[in-house]
Parts: sequence; structure tokens; C-alpha cells
Amino acid sequence: MAHVYYGDPTEEFSAELIRTLAGSGVDIVEVGIPSSDPTADGPVFTAACERALKGGMTPRRCIEGIARLREGGLEAPIVVTSYYNVIYSTGVGRFMAEVRKAGAQAVISPDVPFEESGELIAAGRGEGIDVILQVTPTTDGARLGRIAGAARGFIYTINVEGVTGARDGMPESALELIKRLKALTETPIMVGFGISRREQVVGLVSAGADGVVTGSAIAEIYARRLDRPEETLGAISGFAKGIKAACAEGNAQRKVA
Amino acid sequence: MGTGPGAETGTEAVRGEEGAARAEPGVGSAKGRFGIFGGRYVSETLVHALTDLEDAFGRHYPTEEFQRIFRGLLRDYGGRPTPLYHAENLSRIVGFKVYLKREDLLCGGSHKLNNSIGQALLAKRMGKRRLITETAAGQHGVSAAMAGNILGLETEVFMGVKDIARQEGNVKRMRLLGAKVKPVATGEGVLKDAVSETLREWAACSRTAHYLMGSTVGPHPFPTIVGAFQSVIGEEIRAQILEKEGRLPDAIVACGSGGSNAIGAFRPFLDERDVRLHFVEGGGESLDADNCAAAFVLGRPGVLHGALMQLLQDEHGQVKPSRTRAAGLNYPGRGPEISYLCHSGRVKAGYAFDSEVFEAVKVTCRSEGLIPALETAHALAYILGHREEFDKGDVVVVNYSGRGDKDVETILRHLEGEI
Repeated sequence: MAHVYYGDPTEEFSAELIRTLAGSGVDIVEVGIPSSDPTADGPVFTAACERALKGGMTPRRCIEGIARLREGGLEAPIVVTSYYNVIYSTGVGRFMAEVRKAGAQAVISPDVPFEESGELIAAGRGEGIDVILQVTPTTDGARLGRIAGAARGFIYTINVEGVTGARDGMPESALELIKRLKALTETPIMVGFGISRREQVVGLVSAGADGVVTGSAIAEIYARRLDRPEETLGAISGFAKGIKAACAEGNAQRKVA
Repeated sequence: MGTGPGAETGTEAVRGEEGAARAEPGVGSAKGRFGIFGGRYVSETLVHALTDLEDAFGRHYPTEEFQRIFRGLLRDYGGRPTPLYHAENLSRIVGFKVYLKREDLLCGGSHKLNNSIGQALLAKRMGKRRLITETAAGQHGVSAAMAGNILGLETEVFMGVKDIARQEGNVKRMRLLGAKVKPVATGEGVLKDAVSETLREWAACSRTAHYLMGSTVGPHPFPTIVGAFQSVIGEEIRAQILEKEGRLPDAIVACGSGGSNAIGAFRPFLDERDVRLHFVEGGGESLDADNCAAAFVLGRPGVLHGALMQLLQDEHGQVKPSRTRAAGLNYPGRGPEISYLCHSGRVKAGYAFDSEVFEAVKVTCRSEGLIPALETAHALAYILGHREEFDKGDVVVVNYSGRGDKDVETILRHLEGEI
């Protein structure tokens, strides 16, 4: 799964980037609606949001963009990620209806923890949109059980204590969390935050993750060429294929084990 | 200047059943809600830190031992109780009896120390080693550094680059006290951005660090906790005014954005229906949406930094930057409790423009020999500009939340030629 803040640096580039990713092994596309205050995001995505908003991106244009990607033949499932105020401001029910009409399958709101998610989940159910719940190594056992029980679509496992952004290492606690989840649920587990390296992906998938999420690592590549970001699409495609291969490698190791 | 129509724009849902959901001092209402406002809108990474904090507050705050140490520090280190001063000259100017609750005399120069000492004590009991926080005018950052030093906790203060430039004096004080000042250049480089950056930092270090939230904002339990620690202001006002006047005041006026000095002054009077409560926010240059901080006039309910609150935002739900010359009022959201109290009608929301605020500074300097903080001067501007709202026999308490030494350069530049 790949997370793209839509509209950074332009809408045209984001659409092209999403098509490239989908053609390079990305199975699920996470389309981020840029936020004025992305408090769960690190410096790379914070800058991405600022650029997109400066370029005039709005939630409505994001959702229209998703509809155009679908019309253009994009087949991968789409997850829409939005901080809660945009959803609240639109109206929870209306937001869910709009993302469904555009052709998306799920919604993530990174600043809505399980306890505040009731209204989102109910509205999503009405439209057939899964609300993706997140867990972290700091989620305690009782809550983990409740969240795993309520999860639909997949469980988004936050790999690190912190915000989004590529990191070199991978905490042991992330692997333990995957094992705890595996014992609780058959819902697929996607692991995100801080992922950019092959060894991380192999480790996570061999431990039981069903997939990984990359985001900032992709933005880092095109942000080096903001004047001509389309020239980085080849490198980004290569990166995505590498992550996909690492997933396969992790899978193979799991089967052997 | 005027009183905001915001109080009239609330939906029925917002008004709710008056009083039904109001938080008891020290104990959050269900899930930390004040009417519809409040809640806990944070990433999953921070949930454990907030539930730990809620538990710790519930465990320690009510105990005799905690209260003894907290009140003792406020008294012997902070200088509490702060005086309630009958400002006779100012009273003559406005035509009713004005008392100033002298929070400027609390050590550090503002009401902020009440909360910083309380939270630092909690952090120490929770075994944290470090305090992280944000500041705008610098008053909270200074008080956090002081409290951190008393309790042997490292202190790191995030501050917008624009605020660093305009509050140089407090930046120097923080550095002298040994706090690390971390410049925040994202967004507009002001308080809102500093809060976001502190939340990001906390997500990475919440096991060892406590986020010493500076106002009655943020996710539950912060609004409840900060309000509880600041309520000492209102408790003292109550005892002091009974002693001086033999009765409760007719009105209490306080400035704010997040609302901590106002909530602190108001809480012990919420059930006293005859005590009118006025909250004064930053009007900025004008009510033009790009030059103002008056969220009760120009905002609507929305979610920022962990809570549903009255919020300046555009039609898409993106947060709009606020503007006012008072760095400490320059925040786009009103805390959940003050949002609720203004929507329910218990508190009347008003605002003061920058030009009126500078004028109020001048009047207070000349009449009382006191230089108020620009934030505090909003409350003074309100009574100067709204004399018709008060009767001749009224007893009005203004929460004089901070001293203006930090703003002297700004004030002098503005008043140049006039003095």
C-alpha cells in the first residue's frame, strides 16, 4: 500500500504518481487529503501538505480526483485518509457518501482513535465504506482485543512510536505487536510508519504482516525534484517494485518457517 | 469592538441541556466532553499517554499530600494568594468599581505558574524525566522552565519562529533558566504550529516525557486538568471579594484564547447565576477573517489538536491562522470548556481590537501605574469600551492575568508619537 498526499506538488503529478505506483506492484492506494495541521505526520508529509494546500488543493478536488482515477481505469482499492476536521466539517455522513460515489473502499482518520470512531464507523457502514482502525506498540491488551474485534478491511499497525517518516531501524515491539494481533484476528494486518527499506519489509512480512505501507519515502524521492517531479517516476516505480519483492521474500520466509 | 454574535450562532445540539454535561472541577465529564465540545482526537500512539495521565490525575490530585505540596509551592514559591486590588483610578474612569486580580504578581509574571507547578508535580509522580511544551508569548514557557527546575525535570519548549522574534525577552529568560527553546518554522511559525510540533514530539517520547499543556486546550484530560490547577484564581477571588465587599461580584472579565486564565477565574462562579462572566478574545486589526483571532465571531465548531472546539477555519475545514498583536491570544481555537460556556450562554463572548488594546495599556499605565500584558489589556479594553454593560453600583473583577514587561518594545513602537 502506498500513501500519496494528493495535490503535492500538483494534481496532475499526483494522478500520474498513483497510476505509476499501481503499475509497480502497489495493491492498495492510500490517497491523503492534505491537512493544514497534520499532527501525526513528520516533516516530509507536513511539507507535502503545505505544498498541496498552497497549490489550492481542497477536499472536494481530492475526491473528484479519485473519481477520475477510477474512470480512467484504476482498479486498485483506494483508501482515503483525512484528518478528522475535514470529515467533521463536510459532515460525516456526506463525506462517506462522497468517497463511496468517487469509488473508494475505505477511510482512515489518523486523529480519531477507537473511542471516538463510533460515528465514523456507523456512517461508513451505511455506505459500505470500511473505517480502518489503527493500533500501535503502545496499545494495551484490552484495547487491542476490542479494536481487533471491531476492525473491518484491514488493521493498520503503526510500526513506531512517533509520526510518519522513513527510519532506518525497526523496533522489536512492532514484530511483537504483529504476533499479538495474529493471535486475535484473521483481519489482514498492514504495517506503516517509518518504512523504506527492504530488510524492514522482509522482517515485518515474515513475522506475519500481510503488507506494508510506504508514504514519506516516496515523497522524499520526488521532493528532490519539485521543479520536474515527473522525472522521478522511474525511480519511484523501482522503489515500489523493490518493496513488493521484499514482501514476497518475507512471505516465502514465513512459509518456510 | 463589540460582543460576538457567536454565542447566538450555536445549533440546538450545541446548546444541549444546560449544565447537564458541564465538567465538575477536577473531574472530567463523560469522555472529557463539555456539551459537544472536547473529546480525545489524537493518533492511537498518544492514547496510552492520555489514559495514564487521566489515571495519575485522578489518583494524585485529590490526595491531601498532593494538595499540601501544590498549595505550598504556590504559596511559598509563587507568592499566592495574589492580591485583589481595588483600582480606584480606573474605577473612576469607567464609572463602576473595578478590582484587579493580580496574577501579574505571581512569580514569573502571569497566571501560568499555577498550571505548570501542578502538571510538573504530576509528571514527577508519573516518573517522567522531561517536560515538553509550547509557548507563544513565552509566559508559559518560562513558568514550565521554573517548574521543571524545582522538580528536577528537563524542559524543552517549542516556539514559533515569529513568536521567538517578538517575545525575545522571554526567550532569553527561558534560556537562562536552562530550558531548550526549539524554533518551529512550519506553518505560520506561531502557537498553532508549535502545538502541532509538540504533539509530534510527544508521539515519539511519551513514555519518558510529559507534555505540559499550557492552556485549557488539547485532548482529554488536559482541559480538565489545566482548569483544575487554575481554579485557585477563582477560589481566591471569591474569598477576597467576600472579605472586601461582603458579597459576590456582579461580573468577572477575563481575556483568553485557549481559556486557562478565564476558566480559572470563572469555575468557582459557574453556578452563581447573578455573577456575569465575560470572555474577551483577540479582535486583531479588524473582523476581516484574515486579520483577526475572534473565533466566537468568525469560527464554528471543529477539531484541532485533540479536541472539538470553537475554531477558525475555512469552508473546507482547513484551520485558518489567527492574527492579533497579542501572541498569547493568537490561537485559532477556543478550549472545549470555554467553547461550551459561551455557546450555552453562561459566558458572554466579546473581543477587543488591537488599537483598543494599546489604548487600554496606555490608560492603565497612566491611571494605575501598571503595565499590563497585551493579552491582559484585552480584558481592560473591554471594560473601557463597554461601560454601558455595567451599572454604576457594579463590582467588577478583571483577571489581571499578566504583566507587560515582555511587550514594552511592541507597546512603545505602537504608541510612539503619542507619549
